Amino acid sequence: MSNPAWIIDTDIHPYIDPQRVADFLPQPWRRRLHMGNVGPGSLGYWNPNGVRRSDVYAPDDSPEHGKRTDADAATMVKHHLDRYALSHGILNADHINVGLSPETDFACAFMSAVNEAIAADWLSVSPRILASIHVTPTDPQHAAAEIRRWAAHPQFVQVLMPSGSRTGYGNRVYHPIYAAAAECGLPVALHPGTEGLGVSGVPTAAGYPGNYLEWHTGLVGSYIAHVVSLISEGVFVKFPSLKFVMIEGGVSWLVPVLWRFDKNWKALRQLSPWLTHPPSHYAHEHILLTTQPIEEPDNLHQLQTLLAMMPIEKMLMFSSDSPHWDGDTPDFVGRHIPAAHRQRVLRDTAWALYRLDERTKNTNPHHAPKSIQNLKSKIQNYHVPVSNNELE
Amino acid sequence: MSLYPITNLNELPPGARKLTTIAGKPIGVFNVNGQIVAIQNLCPHELAPICVGRVDGTTLASQPSEMVWGRDGEILACPWHGWEFDLLTGQCLTDRRRLRQFEVKIIGDDVFVEVYS
Repeated sequence: MSNPAWIIDTDIHPYIDPQRVADFLPQPWRRRLHMGNVGPGSLGYWNPNGVRRSDVYAPDDSPEHGKRTDADAATMVKHHLDRYALSHGILNADHINVGLSPETDFACAFMSAVNEAIAADWLSVSPRILASIHVTPTDPQHAAAEIRRWAAHPQFVQVLMPSGSRTGYGNRVYHPIYAAAAECGLPVALHPGTEGLGVSGVPTAAGYPGNYLEWHTGLVGSYIAHVVSLISEGVFVKFPSLKFVMIEGGVSWLVPVLWRFDKNWKALRQLSPWLTHPPSHYAHEHILLTTQPIEEPDNLHQLQTLLAMMPIEKMLMFSSDSPHWDGDTPDFVGRHIPAAHRQRVLRDTAWALYRLDERTKNTNPHHAPKSIQNLKSKIQNYHVPVSNNELE
Repeated sequence: MSLYPITNLNELPPGARKLTTIAGKPIGVFNVNGQIVAIQNLCPHELAPICVGRVDGTTLASQPSEMVWGRDGEILACPWHGWEFDLLTGQCLTDRRRLRQFEVKIIGDDVFVEVYS
């Protein structure tokens, strides 16, 4: 049952040791991992603070002290979910880059093994931990099979692909993935960070950025390209129940892009004759964004003015991106969201999108950790300026 | 206003820090190349415990394509988002917000911090 005092975190990164993934790989890929070769790696852009936050350890006065909060499921439940009054969190593994390996056989086997490792080590520990099904978009048939393999598992709640890609994700090559997701009632999500890796295109439309600041700021470019591609190539006409979640792209870029898109559509409609509504209509109905990294203009009202220009009550879901360097806490995000929509953004939209009523109905509350019982009192002491009726 | 003993100079050599709580306030005391400073252990951005962050130098303002390293030991970077603060002034290098500073008194070898309580 949904308790409105709890928040849902739609983007958490567990630490999954490649050597643990190797345990689930058939040969010869297990031997490959044992030799240390995990695939396409990264372009090596340097974040001077480190991509993973340096301080995400369990507190010194806890039995887990010294352990990272992303080290294992139990530590994550206690020191991330409980700490921030989160009822559920969705795991997205950092290993999505492997899905862009030119070695397709290896990439498919690896992503399947990542899902196995998540099911074995994380989902089995707590029903509050949910996860994405990690797939290899360069082999849509394999991706579709992987979706169907896990779809009946109550804790695999969406399909995840890297936003680095060879073409826009509206391209018909990818449609078998969407057919499987729609059939199984699962949203498809994108996560950034793989731009320029493996077989993906160059990291930005202008080529190779000169440092991490430039690269990371420009990641939104691939999100713009994918949104325009998905809508103009008719994905949401062909799969009318499909939802797409744009994780970690920020929020404020979408409105002006849709203005431009609608204006162009008025003149160029004949190139996408399947669109019977302006493009913004499909975006509002089918695309969701996660909050992090929410933009922080000096004048907060400017952001709120912009948020009022789209239906954030159905398009926006809280995400922390824990334990990465640019993560947000729920109270910080809560202060940015107008009070009228806070409950939707922090919880209700994700609850509905991921069908958590259905997924949690067989969850025996006695299996939940004791700490969950204290969540309500925790959130009452919490700095989210929610109104009183939201705490009932 | 009260003076609270923190440590003594032998235990706080240049580059060292001591984290403590005074009158309910989490405070970090740093030896910045011989100068002792005290700040509240709270980042003004998202309220992180900033005093566990990295103390380092940074790249100084320079011309394009020129990297000039300086201010070793004077810059505190928040462990959450990497915002850099000047330990000597409390000022953030990239935002108007600043760290809350406390008055430090050295009496003999003993380090005290002045806090309203």
